[in-house]
Amino acid sequence: MKFLVTLQNTKFSSLVLLDLAYVVVLAPLLLMLKVPMLVFVVLVVAILVFSSKPAKSWLIVVIFMLGGIAIYLSLYGAFSFRGLSRLKLFLELLIYVLIVVVSMQRLTREINIYLLLSPFFFLALSLFFFYGMLMLIYVIFEVFFLLWMILSHRMQGDILEGFRASMVMFMYSLPWVVVLFIFFPRISFEHASYGFKGETVQRMGHDGTMYLDNKALLVPSDRIVMEVGFEKKIPASHLLYFRGSMLYIDKKNHWEPIPSFVKRKEGLVEHKVNNEKTHYSVTLYPTQKKWLYLLDIPTQAAKESKLDRDLISTVKRKIREPMHYAAISTLRSKFYDTLDDYTLKISTAVHVNHNPKTLEEVLKIQEIHHTEAKRANALVKFFQSQSLTYTLKPEALDINHTTDSFLFDTKKGYCVHFASSFVTMARMLGIPARLVTGYKGDISNGLKNYLVIKERDAHAWAELYIDKHWVRYETTSTASHIETQAHSNQTKDTQNSMSSPLMKKINLYLMYAKYQVETWILYYSNIRQKQLLGYLKENPKFIFIFISSFITLVLVTLIFTVYFKRKVYDNKALESVQAILKILQERGFIRKKNETLHQYFLRYCEENVDKEAGTRLITQLDDSYEKLVYADKPTNLALKDFKKLVKKATKFKTY
Amino acid sequence: MMKSFLQFIQIHKSVKQHATRFSAVVVVLLFGLFLQAYMHDFNLVYITLFFVFSFAFSAGPIGVLNIGSLKSTFLKQGRFFAEVEGKIPLQLYNPSKSTAWAIDIFYDKDTFLPLEKLESDTSTILQLPYTPNKRGHFTYEGVYLESKYPLSTARLTKLVKEIFTALAYPQPKGKSLNSFLSEDESHYGEEKEFDGLRDYDGSQKLSHIHWASVAKGELSVKTFVKEHQTQNLLFHFFTSGSDDEARLSQLCLWALSCEKLHLTFDIQMPQKRLSSNKESIDEILSYLAKY
Repeated sequence: MKFLVTLQNTKFSSLVLLDLAYVVVLAPLLLMLKVPMLVFVVLVVAILVFSSKPAKSWLIVVIFMLGGIAIYLSLYGAFSFRGLSRLKLFLELLIYVLIVVVSMQRLTREINIYLLLSPFFFLALSLFFFYGMLMLIYVIFEVFFLLWMILSHRMQGDILEGFRASMVMFMYSLPWVVVLFIFFPRISFEHASYGFKGETVQRMGHDGTMYLDNKALLVPSDRIVMEVGFEKKIPASHLLYFRGSMLYIDKKNHWEPIPSFVKRKEGLVEHKVNNEKTHYSVTLYPTQKKWLYLLDIPTQAAKESKLDRDLISTVKRKIREPMHYAAISTLRSKFYDTLDDYTLKISTAVHVNHNPKTLEEVLKIQEIHHTEAKRANALVKFFQSQSLTYTLKPEALDINHTTDSFLFDTKKGYCVHFASSFVTMARMLGIPARLVTGYKGDISNGLKNYLVIKERDAHAWAELYIDKHWVRYETTSTASHIETQAHSNQTKDTQNSMSSPLMKKINLYLMYAKYQVETWILYYSNIRQKQLLGYLKENPKFIFIFISSFITLVLVTLIFTVYFKRKVYDNKALESVQAILKILQERGFIRKKNETLHQYFLRYCEENVDKEAGTRLITQLDDSYEKLVYADKPTNLALKDFKKLVKKATKFKTY
Repeated sequence: MMKSFLQFIQIHKSVKQHATRFSAVVVVLLFGLFLQAYMHDFNLVYITLFFVFSFAFSAGPIGVLNIGSLKSTFLKQGRFFAEVEGKIPLQLYNPSKSTAWAIDIFYDKDTFLPLEKLESDTSTILQLPYTPNKRGHFTYEGVYLESKYPLSTARLTKLVKEIFTALAYPQPKGKSLNSFLSEDESHYGEEKEFDGLRDYDGSQKLSHIHWASVAKGELSVKTFVKEHQTQNLLFHFFTSGSDDEARLSQLCLWALSCEKLHLTFDIQMPQKRLSSNKESIDEILSYLAKY
């Protein structure tokens, strides 16, 4: 409170206000400054702190030279005419030059128009380098802060009044900003990527090679791999298969895809069907891999990617920064395909002698069942009969006989082991089969239309070619037991703070909010704009919701405006007595110009002798007010009593 | 709501908006941000752009309300004399519910009085310096209020429509009243008793010089208590100066001196005798001003 009082009585000079603006706008840029430039900035700040006089011309020349050296050292190696054509380097140079020039002018302690404008330049330049939720919040803060400083300057350095005025202006502007943001026509240029957007961390998941030995993938982590926003509600969990890589070649201890140099004939893949299409958008975090994960079965390639004949979507370069793409899929577990000779050959290739025990069982099935479909069903039943256990801590398999080892000896494994054995056995039965890796979503990680895919959702399953269709088999569902303890232990290790369901829910809500902000603000584009306008045209209910939301926003801003525009009284008693004055004025008893409060109350009592109760209250108020305001040491208690009296007086009806 | 809107329209009409160099800055800033945002679909830049635009947009009405609701009135106070700087009192009243900020009152082309703030429902009186060129009626206009509040993106001006009219009395100059009195002692009664010393101003008799003080390096004259107050002082128009303007200035000076010393006097004008017993000083000065 004392601080506020001090602040109220302090008038900030224009230079101090300008310095405060610099602190705010330079803060994000300091994160990208090279060490020589940082040292230069520290030096200038030190001079400003320790010397209160305008710098002499020789010092400004020295600062100019030091600034030049700092720029040279900062950009040493990167600086060339060719380098200048790179926007990021050019912008970096621009920032450095601006810092040096501003420092020179600031040291003279004279404000000119260029110095006044420089915070805006710094703000605009910082927008090239940072993008994300945090920067969004910071930019809004920066904009508000600069407005605050300008208004404080206009109000002779009164920053409290400046704050109130800037809040009013900010609130006036907010609805306009919202309307402009939504409806301002956009064009479909891509979002530019400068600065520090790339990540070097790799999101774990199957990466085209699936190991069965101790290299086998096991990442029960909660790190987010993707965020998926469905146009409608999230489909059921059993439909949330995100295709990643396709593996055909069994290398004993691991599976590999078909080498990239092999040219396969285009098949008649039936992925454009009349089934209901599911539209969704994905934010894929850097995986350092080339796969885009699309829901089974994708109907078209996502942007900048190609969809191969196995319906696997890849991009040319590894994904090193968050990628946003829209996709459409039909949620089915099988699709029509015609196999070329090579695919048929490679999807039936199997080392029969590597797993003799399995072969024995295969022969039994072959003897009983003669169609592919029946054999596949028999295969599932066989797996179910083996009492297999799903565990994240399986025992080591015999690498030379992996399928035998898993199905007859250890009987423990996770998706990788189940899928691998299933595919091997299917091939032994003469059914073309392949392994699919990707992610399997869980609806418990979703909220409304928002689904989070975590590293722990990495999955592998099998696809068998039956009656000219590739059919998906969820091989882990054949497990008879699930070792939950092992699973929960793993979960505890990685989840820590997520242990309570409430925390998990809160975290999910926060992620949902973040996702919505990213979708509708940071990555709002002409596509979104068209979607929104289209939706508005077709849904009268949505128009109503939209307009209501806007009116609510306007009302909220108005409330804020009225609050910050209210008259502030130095005297608390005078502030509280305003309620009574308002009532009396409304009843037609107008206070004369230059009439003191005491005179006003006295006049009321004289003119309203007949209203005994009212005059008594007013007299009481008058006395209390006088005692409170003119007492030597007014106490809080007296003010409290006075407020009670005012409250009582406001409830009185017959003035 | 409608009433407030109409009120705003009325206020808006009374205020003129002029571009400033910061208006150009805002346009350049908006254009730059627009290019930055549009070319790369930068939503953060769009947000900054829209905020800058909205601030500039809302600055207009806020600035208009800040200056437009102020009410100004010239107060009829004070005397004005030809070629003597006087003060014209301008009362500013802020009837709105908000404080008015950063108002400059321009009373000459480049001369202004700054007013830091004027709280709601309060008024202040500003004294605008003005020197009438000659005696007689004069009008004073062209005073306007100016403000760059809130963002300096527009210079808002509001003309004080009221025209101030007043009468400038002749410039008081000439011989002092003492000088006049010393020339004709009988007008002032007989010297009776030594009263004290005062500075010599060249108009006193040599016999009144206090030689003792001269010896000390100070030139003083003796003053005496008069035995009786004489009749009214009488100033003659024709004997008070060489030409009309000099005479009027002289009479004005003597009239003011008499007022100061609470002396009654008469002025014999060519066609009228003015008497301080019958007319107020201002009436006498007005007659002189209009002569």
